[in-house]
Amino acid sequence: MKLSDTIRIRLTGRGGQGIMLAGAILADAAMRDGRQVTETQEYGPEARLGATRADVILSDRPIAFPEVEQADILLCLSRGGWLKYGTQVASGALRLVDVTAVAREPGDPEVRSFPWRARARELGDEVVTNMMALGTLQAVTQVVSVKSLREVLQERIKPALVAANLAAFDEGVNLGRDELSAPGVATAGRDAGIRGGEIHD
Amino acid sequence: MALRMVMGNEAAVQGALAGGCDFYAGYPITPATEILEEMGRRLPPRGGVFLQMEDELAAMAAVVGAAWGGARAMTATSGPGFSLMQEHIGYAAITQTPCVVIDVQRGGPSTGLPTLPAQGDVMQARYGTHGDRPAIVLTASSVREAYTTTRKAFQLAERHRTPVVVLLDAVIAHMREPVELPPLPEPALNPWPGSSGTEPPFGAHPFTPFGGPSPIVVTGLSHGEDGWPRTGAGQATERMLKDAIAGIAEDPSLTQGVERYCMDDATVAVVAYGITARAAHAAVETLRAEGERAGLLKLDVLWPLPEAALLEAAEQVDGLLVVEMNLGQLVMPVRAVVGGRTHVAHLGRADGLLLSPDVIARRLQALTASVRS
Repeated sequence: MKLSDTIRIRLTGRGGQGIMLAGAILADAAMRDGRQVTETQEYGPEARLGATRADVILSDRPIAFPEVEQADILLCLSRGGWLKYGTQVASGALRLVDVTAVAREPGDPEVRSFPWRARARELGDEVVTNMMALGTLQAVTQVVSVKSLREVLQERIKPALVAANLAAFDEGVNLGRDELSAPGVATAGRDAGIRGGEIHD
Repeated sequence: MALRMVMGNEAAVQGALAGGCDFYAGYPITPATEILEEMGRRLPPRGGVFLQMEDELAAMAAVVGAAWGGARAMTATSGPGFSLMQEHIGYAAITQTPCVVIDVQRGGPSTGLPTLPAQGDVMQARYGTHGDRPAIVLTASSVREAYTTTRKAFQLAERHRTPVVVLLDAVIAHMREPVELPPLPEPALNPWPGSSGTEPPFGAHPFTPFGGPSPIVVTGLSHGEDGWPRTGAGQATERMLKDAIAGIAEDPSLTQGVERYCMDDATVAVVAYGITARAAHAAVETLRAEGERAGLLKLDVLWPLPEAALLEAAEQVDGLLVVEMNLGQLVMPVRAVVGGRTHVAHLGRADGLLLSPDVIARRLQALTASVRS
């Protein structure tokens, strides 16, 4: 079933962390890069704090089935998301997680943890965690361009909050680049056909 | 026009506006709420009317009243609200009131699985109201189709003077895909063709809202073409209902509401609709790549059931697999139509999870093996 020209991305976290918005921005940016895209979402009946997910599929051909059954890339911001939606990943999937969701698991180089929430708080507001994580996802995977992501972010986010979110996004890109310079990462996600190790805007 | 990431619910709103909708009354409910929100944003600046009502009974009543006031009216809801609307959908049917109802299906019955998808309202959409009535039920399996189907629903409601149901599901409603939608027509007064005052207000005559040269009696009682109650015996109403049902059954835009994929040489085929048709499409792709002669009949119209297309497929294939996110609804009329011409199997679930391409492909392979043995 798996097609090399198709990349299946799952974003998960808890209600209120902006997973839906991050998914929508990622999908919109990929569309502007000229990819075929679908974005689906699921959330529980809770208004806040329940586990949520957004699935984004990128492909060079039309996408028949829009839901991710086995993700090539997982981005996870919460423990609840990790437990509920984090297990449906392909073998060799690249998993980018917040340190509070799951600590780096020794011997599992494809789980990469980042202090997104803590850094977002240091920048002034944890609400920008989602954009920071998107920045890291971009830097590590290159599945979407920085130009498109920044463009969509500026259009989709309230004007008063754009600067803070862009700053968080750039910080996320830096965190991703730092991680790339750590050993082992250049091969992470290789099975999914994702380029790692290249850094360019 | 430019390519844009659009959510299914938003596309449905744009389709409704393109179809002439200028009145919306509703009550919020997941997973249909974005339709209400978007209508609230878009209708008033266009000179339309948006009402958030106290519940779904009131919403559907407002829709019927608005149509008689001259509006192209619609509402949208999900399962629990759709149940509440049934009484007034029946009222719209007997009063031959053109209107559109979108039902974004979620897990049920009752409050059920509020945020998870299902396709369990297929029979309710047809038979939910008491009595016999003409019924048009359309569906969509992409964001683009959410637009085209809702637009078409308004045309069909006018042509057949009856409530038209658009059955979406939580996945299609909430998914985003890149689409290019035509610009909306300018908001314009969109009057119903006026009555000369000599044609009866009911029966096989164009819908004429209040305000024409003659007073109109609108009643849920059995009535004649003039609108006056005929409760001694119901032949007048029965004839109007039969005429309406026949008109719908003969409308080619409904009877041809099927999309065929890889059917030319198929020996087994899936029958599916909505999000399930997307999974079935992927399943057929996989099986074709493995050299199996599988096909897909994607239904865009559920009621009236596209009988000719089903019969044609039944004559051709060794087996049909009806796949739907319920425990066996559309499979029943499909079996009735096919009448033993081919084997009809069913694959369903109602736990809020999707039927995946792999599961469908495996079931199709099993069907192929069983009909060959």
